[in-house]
Amino acid sequence: MQPEATEPEEDSVWEEPPSMLWGLDPMFNAFNRLYVKDILHMRESCQVSGIYFYNSHPIFKVDVLGTVVYKREREDFFCYGVDDGTGVINSLCWKDEQWREQGDPATRKCRYSHYSCVSTLFVFTVGCVLSSVWARAFGSSACEDFNPASELKKLRQAQHSSSHLEIGELLRVRGPVKTSRQQREIMASTYYKVSDPVMAVQISWMMEVPQLYRQCYDKPFHLDSSAQNIQGGSASYLLGRATRILKDFLKEKEVTRFRPYDVQDLLQPLVSRQPQKTASEQEPEAGPSSGPPTSFKQLRELLQKSLQILQDEGLVFRKVKCQDEVYHVTERDKDLLMAVRDILREDCRREKYAEKGCHILHILSSVRQRYSRNVSKAALVLVLKALECNSDIISTSDSHYTIL
Amino acid sequence: MSPAVFHFLWEVNFGAVKEGDSVRTFGRLVSYQPEESKATLSIQHAARQHQVVVQTTFVEPFDPIIGAQYIVLGEIEKAEGGDGVMVHARVLNCVDGVNLALLQRGVNEQRSYFRERGESKGDAATAAQQRAPL
Repeated sequence: MQPEATEPEEDSVWEEPPSMLWGLDPMFNAFNRLYVKDILHMRESCQVSGIYFYNSHPIFKVDVLGTVVYKREREDFFCYGVDDGTGVINSLCWKDEQWREQGDPATRKCRYSHYSCVSTLFVFTVGCVLSSVWARAFGSSACEDFNPASELKKLRQAQHSSSHLEIGELLRVRGPVKTSRQQREIMASTYYKVSDPVMAVQISWMMEVPQLYRQCYDKPFHLDSSAQNIQGGSASYLLGRATRILKDFLKEKEVTRFRPYDVQDLLQPLVSRQPQKTASEQEPEAGPSSGPPTSFKQLRELLQKSLQILQDEGLVFRKVKCQDEVYHVTERDKDLLMAVRDILREDCRREKYAEKGCHILHILSSVRQRYSRNVSKAALVLVLKALECNSDIISTSDSHYTIL
Repeated sequence: MSPAVFHFLWEVNFGAVKEGDSVRTFGRLVSYQPEESKATLSIQHAARQHQVVVQTTFVEPFDPIIGAQYIVLGEIEKAEGGDGVMVHARVLNCVDGVNLALLQRGVNEQRSYFRERGESKGDAATAAQQRAPL
């Protein structure tokens, strides 16, 4: 049985499945009847906050039955402490406004919602229809017994008793799990008092939940190979992670220039974990014909795609396109920054550009003539932003810049 | 707040639950002394009567039905006189009519699952259980 990742050492071994594939797990969409102990120890996802993992299953909603051991009431909600015998968890239960009494302070504040009016009218209409049917069936005297107003009052009382619990009463609560102030709690989407005079409900819960664990929750979430290879799924997730890793590295280490093999190793952990050390150590530049291992080829592909994305975003560019693949980090290329500044300084002296400044496309063509043909518009935008932040230049309009 | 794990009365008496820990247990109400706020729950098991004293200060007033089954949730404390333990109740509910055999089965089903999972928390209960086999 795969252990829950509660220990820090275990966390490093198990990796979350990509979020795009979570919908394939039926548990993701169900109200899971986990023990409170497990809910409290579930690991939170590092991809999406508010989603947790139990035994590799992504968990969003839970279903708990337990005894109320503490209660806090505010104007708009209850906070019940629910004890199911394995743990105690906070449950935030919002009060339903439409069932408030007329004399309630809340309704005095005129918070009577449109829905509440419509529902009352609906109940009243139904009541009148029913009473006329009743009268026809049982005679006119029966009409006096059915009073929609008193029935509505009874309904309100039933709703009130169902949602107001005291310590020691049994509560059923279903909803998503949230971590608030480092405490796990359930944001109840549904909650009600369970009447269980002979413990029948609790006993059947005690019998059913271990079965659910054995049959569903404790079986690890298996992605079949077709799901693993979905191009839209894990591939874009990998690429996203790879780009993020490279961006973080370039920023942290304040890199100005690099070659692909300088950053290749950063992406190694993302690629399949089969050990292919001997081949990659000996011949990193091996061509396709010599048959490099699959993971090395995957690594090169991933690296190329990530670098292409960084180029498209303008974060890096190749000043000179030749055999030697050297990438310049746009914002740290002092020569490029100086070149753009010089272009603006010179051109803004001319009458044509004095008033409005230079259009970005004009700057781009000048940069391409003087500095490098491979500077993209995206890269230039980043440079202009950097210069503007430095107060060397200023934008006079959306796409015009002038020297300061 | 520590969770109130289900234990049988005979386990409580054998010291399966540490002092200060919360526990949930059940038995028949055999006596109630309102002036001392003490009730006694009893259960028959393996041809022996097992009893435990329940401090009822937090749950009073309650309507005592002598002879009815009750479920109690509370903390373990040393009994007055130093002999054995007692339960300081936070919850005391009448569950008369409960199917005792089924309740025991439910508790054991949960325990056997935790044992399979290798939880150390179940070990205290199972150790007490082994001393008094069902």
